[in-house]
Amino acid sequence: MSRRNWPAIRAVVWKDVTAIRRSKAIVLPMVIVPALLLIVLPTVIGLAARGTNSPDISQFLSRLPHGFASPIQRLPQNQQLIVLVNGYLLAPLFLIVPLMVSSVLAADAFAGEKERRTLEGLLHLPITERDLFYAKVAAAFVPAVAVSWIGWLAFTVVADTVAWPVMHRAFLPTRLWAVVILWVAPAVAALGMGIMVRVSARAKTTQEASQLGGAVVLPLIFLAVGQSTGLLLVTMPVALAIGGVIWVIALALLSRGASRFTRDRMSATM
Amino acid sequence: MPDAAAVIETDDLTRGFRGVTAVDGLTLQVAAGEVVALLGPNGAGKTTTVRLLNGVLSPERGTSRVLGLDSSRDGHAIRARTGVVTETASLDDRLTAMENVLTHARIRGLSIDEARRRAMALFERFDMAGRADEQVQGFSTGQRKRVALARSLVHDPEVLFLDEPTSGLDPDATRDVTELIATLARERGRTVLLCTHFLAEAGRLCHRMAVLQRGRLLAFGRPDELAARLWRGTAVDLDLGRTADEHLLGWVGALEGVHGADASPTGAVIRITDRAVLPTIVASLVGRDITVYAVVPRPATMEDVYFAVTGGDIGGDIGDGSGDGLGGIGQVVP
Repeated sequence: MSRRNWPAIRAVVWKDVTAIRRSKAIVLPMVIVPALLLIVLPTVIGLAARGTNSPDISQFLSRLPHGFASPIQRLPQNQQLIVLVNGYLLAPLFLIVPLMVSSVLAADAFAGEKERRTLEGLLHLPITERDLFYAKVAAAFVPAVAVSWIGWLAFTVVADTVAWPVMHRAFLPTRLWAVVILWVAPAVAALGMGIMVRVSARAKTTQEASQLGGAVVLPLIFLAVGQSTGLLLVTMPVALAIGGVIWVIALALLSRGASRFTRDRMSATM
Repeated sequence: MPDAAAVIETDDLTRGFRGVTAVDGLTLQVAAGEVVALLGPNGAGKTTTVRLLNGVLSPERGTSRVLGLDSSRDGHAIRARTGVVTETASLDDRLTAMENVLTHARIRGLSIDEARRRAMALFERFDMAGRADEQVQGFSTGQRKRVALARSLVHDPEVLFLDEPTSGLDPDATRDVTELIATLARERGRTVLLCTHFLAEAGRLCHRMAVLQRGRLLAFGRPDELAARLWRGTAVDLDLGRTADEHLLGWVGALEGVHGADASPTGAVIRITDRAVLPTIVASLVGRDITVYAVVPRPATMEDVYFAVTGGDIGGDIGDGSGDGLGGIGQVVP
């Protein structure tokens, strides 16, 4: 079929990203949530471990599967909390960041465009439906992954720095974190987007899309939180498998969304 | 039969939404360089027609061609050569005026420098150069319309579809836009399809008018041709110093040689076949102690035709007409 029109795709991505940067309602949660999760939380954990009464988590560790807990149990007591939380438990919780950012941006790019009545102008341009769809997806996906990766870099620096007096080494990044960041986080960003693309096709406003999407996205967030509290502990093979499954679901949703992203359908619902 | 000279042509074009027909069997041709008004109240099918012509919507039945290209099959190529101003201006509030224009220009394949140069020239023309780098958020409706117009013209389109281009504009801006549209058609041979509520604007600008009502084409042609088909004779403005009441209209309408009478802001508009009856009509009015300040025969206007065709069914949103209609003469499609 036809080749991609990259200048047109870049123009739409630039437009969406510029508009997003100027929207406080979008930028603030994109900054605050990662800052709390990835800077405040590891700082608190690091400082707690540095205290003279560092929390004893041996009982908690003893309830975890042996294969998971034993490498941590072999560490000195004051290092156990830092490694457990910052090295393992935060990894699934971190996935809230790409999920949230991509959902918010996709809702703005698809439903928001309808709500602001700017979509019709785009539909009257010589850009193929597929190029427009790819541009919209890229405008949500790239920032979501960028925020996740920048947040993760900040997290790594903060966590290693705060924990240095206890750890005496940079214990991050771990291999698990590498898988989460490079494999699972982009998958989760794509999933959030896939859900919002489908939801936005029915919604007339960003708020409506967010509410409808929330019914799907929130359970996923709870799942991530459940993970972090030890209900479903992540190991390397599990992280790889979870990432693979999420990618399959996300790509199926996006593929379905792309096939339904037609001028006629969008114009008929404006 | 397709017309080789037609820039826009539709044949039995039909489209509905959820069981309601928005455009119903539309057949018309627009020649190169022509300005045609698509007149009708909200819901008449004007916007749907523009979307169908640009290949944004697909027809359920019938065909349309723009610049010789099939709207269903060659929508992309059509959209590259047309410019559209949508009813809501369709600007992104978070971008500046310049950014709004540049985005569309870049999608249309213009280089950034060329797009910026053309955009600035258009902003200067529309008296918006000083606000080019401001976010659209604080702009008035008129300023938005001007930015939208600049955006639709930045690639120098061959055909322009303007959906209510002057609504919300002040009189000066309206005049500027009207002049611009007329210039584009007259000097540059651009074809313009103008969807509007404003009959006076259509009357000033358009060569031909198409009256749509509930998706159906009720009339299509030059106002004077349509008027000739609708009624014989001439319209005459009677200036009586005040709007004629129903009783007076009934009485005047029944005079010999008068085919109809409607109220106007200053009196009445009557239709006669022969100007020889005018002295008798004036004498009759004076005989009833009615002061006649002026009697002015005039050609039929777009307003006359519009209200005659629609039977005064204006849907509450047609502006600048005398408003009372001439009795619902019905469909006048060639």
